Amino acid sequence: MEIEKVLLAFAAALAIGLSALATAWAQSKIGAAGAGALAEKPELTATIIILIAIPETMVILGFVVAAMILFGV
Amino acid sequence: MIVLMSKVEIAGHKELLEDVLSELQQSGSLQIDPNTAGFIKKEDRAYIESFLPDDKTLSERVFLEDIRSKIMELFSCLPFIPSKRSYIEPRPIIDTIYNNLQGHLAMCRELTERRDRLQKEIDEVNRYTAFLDAVEPLLKDVKETPDVDFIGLILKNMDSLKVLSTFLRRQTDEKFEILTAPLSDGSLAGLIVVAKPLAENIKRGLGDRDIPELSFPPSCAGLTFPEKLSCLRKRSSEILDELDAVSMQMDSFAGKWGSIYRKTLEWVNGRLAVLKAAGSVFESEMCFFIYGWMASAEVNTLKQKLEQQFSGRVFLEELELREEDFERIPVMLKNPAYFKPFELFTKLLPLPRYTSYDPTPFIAVFLPVFFGMILGDAGYGLVLMTASYFLYRKFRDREYMRDAAKILFLSAAYAVVFGVIYGEYFGDLGHTLFGLKPLFVERRTAVIPMLYFAITVGVVHVLLGSALGLISAMKKKEKKHALARVLQIAMIMFLLSLVASLFGLFPRLLTRPLILTILFFTPFLLFTGGILAPLELIKSIGNIISYARIMAIGLTSVLLAFVANRLAGMTGDIVIGIFVAGFLHLLNIVIGVFSPAIHSLRLHYVEFFSKFIEPGGRRFEPLKKEEEEEILWKSKKFF
Repeated sequence: MEIEKVLLAFAAALAIGLSALATAWAQSKIGAAGAGALAEKPELTATIIILIAIPETMVILGFVVAAMILFGV
Repeated sequence: MIVLMSKVEIAGHKELLEDVLSELQQSGSLQIDPNTAGFIKKEDRAYIESFLPDDKTLSERVFLEDIRSKIMELFSCLPFIPSKRSYIEPRPIIDTIYNNLQGHLAMCRELTERRDRLQKEIDEVNRYTAFLDAVEPLLKDVKETPDVDFIGLILKNMDSLKVLSTFLRRQTDEKFEILTAPLSDGSLAGLIVVAKPLAENIKRGLGDRDIPELSFPPSCAGLTFPEKLSCLRKRSSEILDELDAVSMQMDSFAGKWGSIYRKTLEWVNGRLAVLKAAGSVFESEMCFFIYGWMASAEVNTLKQKLEQQFSGRVFLEELELREEDFERIPVMLKNPAYFKPFELFTKLLPLPRYTSYDPTPFIAVFLPVFFGMILGDAGYGLVLMTASYFLYRKFRDREYMRDAAKILFLSAAYAVVFGVIYGEYFGDLGHTLFGLKPLFVERRTAVIPMLYFAITVGVVHVLLGSALGLISAMKKKEKKHALARVLQIAMIMFLLSLVASLFGLFPRLLTRPLILTILFFTPFLLFTGGILAPLELIKSIGNIISYARIMAIGLTSVLLAFVANRLAGMTGDIVIGIFVAGFLHLLNIVIGVFSPAIHSLRLHYVEFFSKFIEPGGRRFEPLKKEEEEEILWKSKKFF
């Protein structure tokens, strides 16, 4: 029973951790490109902030899966 | 909202064309279309052709273009000095202005060249001065004799010094001295003291090794090092005085003439716009024809105005809109006062087509609600409402800031509403101090109910988007597209019901019938929506799940507030506790402004608008006079 709890916690951690890493990787790429674009066109600031927020869907999905694992939905 | 537009034709006697164009420019309500497709009937095409300007008009245009470029060059030379608006009417005295302009431009060019030359010289002198300041203390130990020469140079670092020392040892047989002192940028000021007969060889050798000797200005030639220092300081002070004099001269000129030239530029731009517009006009043997677009609400006003102004010799007629015109109709957005500030976010998106929807009202309705759902703290909401009030007061004259303050105020008001619903007043502080309880749900513990709530919001929002897409398709009479939309909405509902029945939210008995229904409708979806329709369906499901961020980001906010209060309690000291809690709450509020706003926007831009907004609209650009602010901005932007 105890090992099952550990495995569930580990699975939840993997779900959120890996998706967070994926999001971070995507955001780093978009962020670098965005910084380059901003140097030439500062008026794109708002658009680039939105673009950086887009990969966060991955970590949200990871969070949902982690919540489902932990709360046994 | 997208303003209802009309297709119009204005016709009149040819000799009235220029006056009519000036009148249209004054009213600023008509966009002239240079393309006659859809405007002129086939049988009339033989009699109507493009308007050809005469030689006088062409030479006026060239003359005005020349004035404009010269004024712009003048603005690029001058500093911007705010001054009162000039009331000079440039038209009668344009030749005098042009003659003056040539002289003023020559003077400004000369002043600019002089300023640049002086600036270059002062930079050089400062470089020498920095060098001499560094080596001056070293010179005290060196006795100046006629048979000794000094070579000054700047070395990158210690490695360069080693290379130089080796070279000098070889060249002088160890008969030299090198003195160095560090400079502020990390490089070294070096001074080689060597016998005069060897100096020439060393200078040549240094040049070959890319270590150039520091050459002083010709005015300091033949002076000793200490004399050079005082000579350069004197020159530096002279240059600064000269630069001040040049700046004063430019400021005084800009203050005296700036407003006159801004007024002239305003008139020249207006006149050029009229002359250019004449290129989009059509003519027959006797008449001119102007075709274009304008807001339907303004058609009658302009019609009456033209009839009165030209005693019935100019007519405006509203033409029938055809289906093929919809792609060409320019788009003008006009929103009521409540929605207007949210155009700030709409401007980030490409303009929607005329047949599509203006995203502004949707953002205005949903964005503050989503913001409130995510932040959901009455205490934070009140702080932000107060901050937005002060922001509005401080930046009342700046449109962007004023709109941002209004949006923040509305969003913060919703945060207060949801804060009361969740029972959050600076986290659990309200509950701890005053026993305030949530009205419906406590977010911190009710993770799964909040997740269901967020997903439900997503379902409603995405289905609303799809329904609007369906209405849009029906309006355009695209039957197949409309049917695909209906099937997509139905499939989303079937899929969600299936997931609900699998998770025990709906009766298990429904599972099999739902699977069969989905399988039954899939071929129809493929037939109406094409091969990508199933992918679109999966994308929609992903979009709905994406709304889980409403709960997820809200949860992080409430947990941070909870931690702030808990840490403050753990300090055991009321002053430190208030400081710790205050700092963490402040941090949470700052994050609470940006994070919910960005994510709410993203939910609109990516999840919601992709279902029904069609980008690619043509902006409505009427023939109108340039605003004074635009001219000011043009004259300011060079600085």
